[in-house]
This record gives sequence, structure tokens and C-alpha cells, in this order.
Amino acid sequence: MGVPHREADATVDLALIARWQGGDQRAASEIVERHAQALARFAASHGVRDAVDELVQDTFVRAFGSLESFRADSSLRTWLFTILKRLMLDRQRAERRGRNKVELEEDHAVQEFNALDGMVADEALTRVRQAVERLSPLQREVFTLRVTEGLPYVEIARIVESTEGACRVHYHNAMRAIKEYLSDD
Amino acid sequence: MTDCPNGLIRDQLPEYVHGVLAADAAARIDAHLDGCEDCRAEVALLGKARAAMALFTPKMDVASIAAALPAPRVAAPRVAAPRVAAPRVAAPRVAARRAPRRFAVSGVWQYAAAAALVLAVGSSALWLSAPERSAQRVADSSSTATVPGTAAALPMNAAVVAQSENGMTFGGGLSDLSLNDLQSLLGQMDSVRTLPSSDPSSMTPVLTVNEGGKSL
Repeated sequence: MGVPHREADATVDLALIARWQGGDQRAASEIVERHAQALARFAASHGVRDAVDELVQDTFVRAFGSLESFRADSSLRTWLFTILKRLMLDRQRAERRGRNKVELEEDHAVQEFNALDGMVADEALTRVRQAVERLSPLQREVFTLRVTEGLPYVEIARIVESTEGACRVHYHNAMRAIKEYLSDD
Repeated sequence: MTDCPNGLIRDQLPEYVHGVLAADAAARIDAHLDGCEDCRAEVALLGKARAAMALFTPKMDVASIAAALPAPRVAAPRVAAPRVAAPRVAAPRVAARRAPRRFAVSGVWQYAAAAALVLAVGSSALWLSAPERSAQRVADSSSTATVPGTAAALPMNAAVVAQSENGMTFGGGLSDLSLNDLQSLLGQMDSVRTLPSSDPSSMTPVLTVNEGGKSL
């Protein structure tokens, strides 16, 4: 499996954290560079459109504000995903309280699709994206973390607060649903 | 598009697409893909899904994010520097907090409570063991407490033994006891319940009279 690759990534992250804690502010930029886009993809997979950059920035601000509490029992990226997920949940709760957003049913989370995106994107990719957006929130989370980030089930389970076995089932169900959607063309 | 029945291979395809598999595992996937059209199609789909997610994700501005981050907490120099020359390092937003004070003093309260408990038990035992008080308590209790047998007809000059429910006895004076008796008494005091029971009857002492002997 890809353990050596991930261990190398973790080693780099820990070295950057040590540099930042020693006063090297450039190490913070390198950490952001390494993980910001992955966090943005995760936020986008949740249907966040307008405030992805804000959410990602808040994630890093929170993470660096409590970096002393980071324990290397998971990767830094997994820890960042966990913070981002909590921020997104807080945001969803706030939006629900404010009644500014139509609540999405857990099992029918079909995201609204911006037609403009389809004009500028490859049609095949657009169809795949539509298929992903039709997944349930949990399936979409697991699928995104597995496919776009390549995380192992054990790390995904920590982020989505589930079990490895459940995540495996969600992933395969998601894949089956996407294939069915695409085969309907 | 159908699913390959080889679940182990399918489970590793995302890692294969990311290129994070070890060389031997990747070689096994390569060999499988040569003869499995379903898995080739799934690998292609995984690639499209990655590309789609990347395409529809806005590009992050690393510089602006980094600029918003708190400065690292750098250890203060050991040698005191003049105030004007002291480097100003912004404290992180989440500062280390002291442990709540109540945890710091809880140990002291525990010792105080233990000492008070020992004093209460000790003074009660001494009070009960005083001969004149013991006799008086037994005389008083004959009218109020439940006394089994014929203890109600207690002669005032009889040596009295008050036996509690757990078998502990009181009577006479401490000066009448030998060192072994005192040690035995201390051992029995450890088993005395110091809090009142919710059942009043359980607190009622069982009184026995010992005709003239040393009571213990």
C-alpha cells in the first residue's frame, strides 16, 4: 500500500510545523500551499460555492491557533479536514437558523447546478460532477476523500466520524450510483 | 458499466490512481488491468472524478490565507531585555490556559476533610468511652432507644458495655485498656460508619450488660 508515501508527507508536515513554531513564518505558507486546494475540494464537494476561500482560511486560522494540540496520530491533512468539516457543520446550522438556505434532505441531497459551469467545462466531467452531487452527503464526503484525496478508509472514518467498514460500504455504493447515473445517458 | 468481482483490486484503485501504492501492489493492479475491462473503465472514471472536482474548485490564494494566520509563539529570551528593545511577538489566538484553580486546591480540601473525619471519629470514641458518660448514655437510652432483652432494668452501678450493630463495644475508660486492646479498638474504629444511615433502626445500638468485668 502507499504507507511510505504518506509517512514521507507526514514527516514533511511535522518538519514544517516545527519550523513555524520556531518562528519561521514561511513554513506556514508552505503548509497552506500543501493543503489549501485539497481543503477547497472537500468544501466544494459539500456544495459550498461562494465561501470556499473563507472556509479554508478559517480552517487554517483555527488550526494554527491550536497547532500545539495537534497530535501526530493522524496526518495533518486529516486533522485539517476534521476542522473544516466542523466549520461547515457550524455554517450549515447557522444557515438553517437564519432560514437563508433551503434545507437539503439527507437522502436526496441534489445540489443545484450552475448551468454556466457546464458551458465552460468538459461535458464528460460535468456529467461526472453531476453524478457526484447526486450522492447523499455522507457518500459524497467519503467518495471525495477517497477519490480526489486518495485517503485510506481509516483516515476517512476519523473525518466523517464513522467506521472503516461503513466508509468502505459508502464508497462502493457511491461508485455504483455514479456508474448508474452515467449509464443512463 | 459493470463491477469487477475482485473486490480487493477495486478497493485499491483510488490509491492506484493517486500513485501512492507500493511498487509490488501497483504491479499487481497493472497485471489485473491488462485483463479486466471493468477495472480499466473504473480507473478512467476515477480519473474523471478527480479532474471534475479539481475543475470546479476555486483556486485558493495561499498568500492571503498565510497572511491571516497567527504568528508563532516564540520562546521568550532568558535574559531580560530593555522594554523598548524587547521583540513583540503576537500571541497566538488560543493561549495556553492555567489549570482551573479548583483542581489545584482540591487536594488540600481532601486532606482537611480527612483530618476532620479522623477528629470526629476520635472524639466520638473518647466521648463514648468515658465511664460516667457511657453509663449516663445507657441510662438515657433505656427510655428512648430500643433495648433488646431486659436491659431496661439497668442498675446504675453496673459496668456497661455498649455494643454497636457492627460488633464494636464501648465501655469503661481508656486507661483500663492494654496496648493490645487499644490497637484492637483503633482497628474496630476504622469500620465504624460515621455518616447517619437513612434507616434509623440501623443506628440503634444493641446494649449488653457485663457484670463487673473489663468491658471490651
